[in-house]
Amino acid sequence: MDVFQHILLGFQVALSVQNLFFCFVGVTIGTLIGVLPGIGPVTGVAILIPITFGMHATTAIITMAGVYYGAMYGGSTTSILINVPGESASVMTTLDGYQMARQGRAGPALGMAACSSFIAGTFAVIMLTLIASPLADYALSFGPPEYFALTFMGLTLVTSLSGESMLKGIVSGVFGLILACVGIDAVSGEERFTFGNIYLLDGFGFIGVAVGLFAVAEVLVNLEEPLKQVFVKTELKLRTLFPNRQDWRDCLGPIGRSAILGFFVGVLPGAGATIASFLSYATEKKLSKHPEKFGTGIIEGVAAPEGANNAAAGGAMVPLLTLGIPGSGTTAVLLGALLIHGLRPGPLLFQSSPDFVWGVIASMYIGNVMLLILNLPLVGLFASMLRVPYRILMPLIITISAVGVFATENNIFDMWVMFGFGIVGYLMRKLDFPPAPAVLALVLGPLLERSLRQSLTISHGDLSIFFTRPIAAVLTIGALVSLFSPVFRAVWESTRTPGKEARP
Amino acid sequence: MRRADRTTGIILLIFSLILMDASRRMPPSATFGPGAGFLPFWLGALMAILSVLLIVQAFRRPATPVEKPAFPSGKALVAVGEAVAGLALYILLLETLGFLVGTGLLTAYLLGVVEREEWRTTILVAVLNSVGLYFVFGHLLGVSLPRNMFGF
Repeated sequence: MDVFQHILLGFQVALSVQNLFFCFVGVTIGTLIGVLPGIGPVTGVAILIPITFGMHATTAIITMAGVYYGAMYGGSTTSILINVPGESASVMTTLDGYQMARQGRAGPALGMAACSSFIAGTFAVIMLTLIASPLADYALSFGPPEYFALTFMGLTLVTSLSGESMLKGIVSGVFGLILACVGIDAVSGEERFTFGNIYLLDGFGFIGVAVGLFAVAEVLVNLEEPLKQVFVKTELKLRTLFPNRQDWRDCLGPIGRSAILGFFVGVLPGAGATIASFLSYATEKKLSKHPEKFGTGIIEGVAAPEGANNAAAGGAMVPLLTLGIPGSGTTAVLLGALLIHGLRPGPLLFQSSPDFVWGVIASMYIGNVMLLILNLPLVGLFASMLRVPYRILMPLIITISAVGVFATENNIFDMWVMFGFGIVGYLMRKLDFPPAPAVLALVLGPLLERSLRQSLTISHGDLSIFFTRPIAAVLTIGALVSLFSPVFRAVWESTRTPGKEARP
Repeated sequence: MRRADRTTGIILLIFSLILMDASRRMPPSATFGPGAGFLPFWLGALMAILSVLLIVQAFRRPATPVEKPAFPSGKALVAVGEAVAGLALYILLLETLGFLVGTGLLTAYLLGVVEREEWRTTILVAVLNSVGLYFVFGHLLGVSLPRNMFGF
């Protein structure tokens, strides 16, 4: 089958009434989560896992993927109107977006954010369609050493890119791997660190850990200081939303570049939408003829990061679907969801469940169109959601999280896991340990351990197996380079500084 | 942050030593190849090295004149503590109170006590939230939610 037939099959699946409906539900929830500060896509997807538990796997993942890329659209609305990023990938949009709103140009800023998101997001899905199948075929030849090297690289990349201090990122990742060891050892059948607790035989419930580390911890942090929301008064009629011809001329280049850059950053395991938006903003500032105007409210400063974060969300689906290696916190939670539905992402998935893979990919085309429609005429409606005070939202997030965690296995123990990791997540945030590497490591831990031990069994304990097979060697060396080289750190620093300068 | 990092480092170091000790006691693999304790042992070793690095880094970093404390104090800390205590009590009493009552009380507590919202909004949100969740999860999704002795 060629690409055309694949995607036709996908649309057959995605266009069923049920899947269309849940795709719409997903992108709507995603937009809402994006709009509301204090609740991000990771939390949203984690809470949805139990709710989508009873659905068909394809429908469930269509819904959750919709939340993921839908949040990228919604985040910009909050950034532009109240100068608070709706989620972390929209931080850069606050710089120029809010300034535009203060100058009375909120409409074009919102309109351009939606259009740029749509163009770059669709570009990423097209690339995903073209790349996924060949990459999966290629990955079929991977053995345990390659899988170990790949997982290892994913983990090192995410730790080295995910926060202020690389050391703390690595600590967080190792912590996640240690958590993954709890339960019955899949290779030998030995019980590890269960302390006689029958609920721990299967290890820590993934949903409980993820919801605790993200949803509960986020709420606790936000309780400390109420978000200050200063609304920019603006009239959001459909006709005020369209950017003028000059705006389009300014933005076509940035949108194109941000789509390409965002997609490839998203494909890299370990780098997600947030990093893509930082890099894209920095790139446009460097290429611009008038870099000093960035941060004063120019439309390129909105188009570039918004395009990049959407393209990255599409790109992140590539390693997730073809290799089973998530690149960010949100895709790690998506991988957890796939596993719960009994699907093992990886090259074999394309042969065993083509209707699933292509159905999800096709739904992303449809979802992007839905989002464009949702975000242009209805942006006023979503913006009015911002008037709901966070006070009221907080108890809702906590109770939905609690009942959701309970619903997956029907036991109270998982709620305690959520509770415990809520406190752990709170402490991690206060002490600057990024929580994403821990969740990623918890999901990847079993794969990492199995491939490591299988490889060492094949080689009779000789570590050189990771350096003598060409693909494994490239990946292992790549991982070691990212772990030890300060170069990545320098890139991270240089992309952060413009943000600091421009903020008042 | 320096003091906090030092404390974290020491706690992590103790944790990793315990982990290494526990892993060493696990039986070796029955066949050739690494056994169950292999990965946890080396993860413990790695964590030990990392925590030493964390401690060293905390000592070597020059003290900034104004140390921003890592944790809040006063009102903010009280709010966090109240929320945590409320959630713990909720989980503890869920099977006695039943889902409907328990969730309503937790919502009311978080909104009325922790957030100091006025009482009419509090009661309205609490009732709508617990009934709404009961309907969606218990009814639409068919989850058997905890019930109290009166059956709801």
